[in-house]
Amino acid sequence: MAQLFTPAASTAFRVLIVLALLGAVATGVMAYFWARADSTWNIGKPAEQPVPFRHDLHNGALGIDCRYCHSTVERAADAGMPSAQTCMSCHSQVWTGASVLEPVRSSFALGQPIEWTSVHRLPDYVYFNHAAHVTKGVACETCHGRVDQMPKTVKTQTLSMGWCLDCHRDPAAHLRPRQAVFSMGYEPHGNDLPEDVRVFYREASRRLTSCSTCHR
Amino acid sequence: MEAPTHAVTRRIAEIPLSGHFGWKWWIALLISTGLVLLLGYTLAAVTFIGVGVWGVNIPFVWGFDLINYAWWIGIANGASLFAATLVLRRHDLRTAVNRFAEGVAFFAVICAGIFPIFHLGRPWLFYWVFPYPATFEVWPQFRSTLTWDFWAISTHAIVTSLLWYVGLIPDLATLRDRARTKLAQRIYGVFALGWRGSVWHWAYHQRAYRLVAILVLPLILIMQSTVAFEFAVTLVPDWHETRQPLHFVATGLAQGLSIVLLVAVLLRWSLRLERYIDDEDIDLLGKLVLATALVSGYLYLDEIAAALLTGGKAWEAIYHRMTGDYSGLYWTAIVYSVLIPQLFWLKLARQSVIAGVFVGISIGVGVWFDRFSIIIGGLQTDYLPSVWRTYSPTLSETGLFLGTIGLFAALLLLFVRFLPVVSMFESRHDEHEEKSS
Repeated sequence: MAQLFTPAASTAFRVLIVLALLGAVATGVMAYFWARADSTWNIGKPAEQPVPFRHDLHNGALGIDCRYCHSTVERAADAGMPSAQTCMSCHSQVWTGASVLEPVRSSFALGQPIEWTSVHRLPDYVYFNHAAHVTKGVACETCHGRVDQMPKTVKTQTLSMGWCLDCHRDPAAHLRPRQAVFSMGYEPHGNDLPEDVRVFYREASRRLTSCSTCHR
Repeated sequence: MEAPTHAVTRRIAEIPLSGHFGWKWWIALLISTGLVLLLGYTLAAVTFIGVGVWGVNIPFVWGFDLINYAWWIGIANGASLFAATLVLRRHDLRTAVNRFAEGVAFFAVICAGIFPIFHLGRPWLFYWVFPYPATFEVWPQFRSTLTWDFWAISTHAIVTSLLWYVGLIPDLATLRDRARTKLAQRIYGVFALGWRGSVWHWAYHQRAYRLVAILVLPLILIMQSTVAFEFAVTLVPDWHETRQPLHFVATGLAQGLSIVLLVAVLLRWSLRLERYIDDEDIDLLGKLVLATALVSGYLYLDEIAAALLTGGKAWEAIYHRMTGDYSGLYWTAIVYSVLIPQLFWLKLARQSVIAGVFVGISIGVGVWFDRFSIIIGGLQTDYLPSVWRTYSPTLSETGLFLGTIGLFAALLLLFVRFLPVVSMFESRHDEHEEKSS
């Protein structure tokens, strides 16, 4: 009877075992980096919008305050998107004939909202409140990046749960004084906040990382 | 050239290598495959529609899923505890029953593992209970019973499959040497891992086999206690007791042994294995089953005694289990898992095929009713009278349960078809010892 396996078979079998183990480790490593890659979280990818609105122009060059358009950001869970009336408060005077603004004018005329595409959409099971963050010193820039330099609005942060927790576990380091919340390019300093506020937030981090704080 | 296989084991090696296995095997496989399809269907239903297809609701968040999980894991625990003990004690009975006892344990773990995963409601995210560096930067909640299930089942699956496979290696080599087709030779050959039967091989093998067996002992006790602690750590009056692990381990052992007995009797009768699983083996198994049934009986008395000593809500809870809406389950459990096995006091019953099958199934059924009684009956009168309701399984849950029985049967049938059901190398060893003494 001929031999069932050639002498090389044992070596091949051992090599296969090692390769399989290496493959498993490599898959794990790749999954680790894929889960953290910008493309996985849509960072830097602009969405298709009905009007080519430019934050760099309105906020950056003209210096319009965030709250002029996102008017409920200090009072409600939603920052609020501007109605066509808000846009038309200027655009009834400037760029009145521009064809790119046609959706704004028809929205104003018909009383129908413009259908913007969300760039920073959180899952339904996350309870996020803009007012709670903004009034406690979390700046727009902290989560939305340098919007004043964006021709097209894009995500700059993952908005992953781990990213949220990075701040919730130690908020004081990320908070700004009240007057700097809506400014862009602000350099935070370690002693921005009074000591008693920092002590308060160190103790609050337990409450801030409780499941039901964000998942209600 | 025919490989030198001892004549003793020729009959066992011939079973998986024979070309034909008869229509009865095919019919059995067909029925069990049908049930496996039912399992697939009910699992798809709960995945795509959600746990709403089950009868579970507050307060019965644990319904058939946990009943059947606890039941299957009990079989797995009992069977592997038994098998490992036999290996370590080098007991004669191991020759006859170890191979399929280990197989039964492994198949039962597979069936058990299905339930907690689908019980999650989002089964595709089951890996969240594993501590890996996730982007949500939260470790699994180690105080949660879900993570305990994960560690219990995965540890269980690893040690039982190892125990089974390590024991199989020399026999796979025998099958490789005796197989008639090239394909069969190659397949058995790959799984035999190049076994040549050298003294070194045997020395390593004995060490590995006993090492795994010694791992099984503490792990199984811990795993079964883990299942019990899932109940004991809650505040439910009937569950919140330190005697819970003892109850689960002991009734689990009875259940595992009864299924081993059932399989032993069926295999012996259907494959004519009287020579390997002899009358003495079956007799001994019967006595062990009887002994564990007596321990179960003692534990039922202990449960009542403990509740009486605790008094108050604990006594009310057990009294309600005995007399309330689900009292039938409690008494059925006692009749089936304690009283019916008393048949085995008679030698005649221990050696009869019908009695063996009857008692084997009856303990299995009895322990199933016991788990039902604990999980549903124990929860029925909780502290909040406003949630005193009843639970009954839906068709989908019943299908799921039947499906796992089908899966278990199908795995067992395939095992019988393709692998030696009795350990050939242990049989040869025994035969040698008998001759030399």
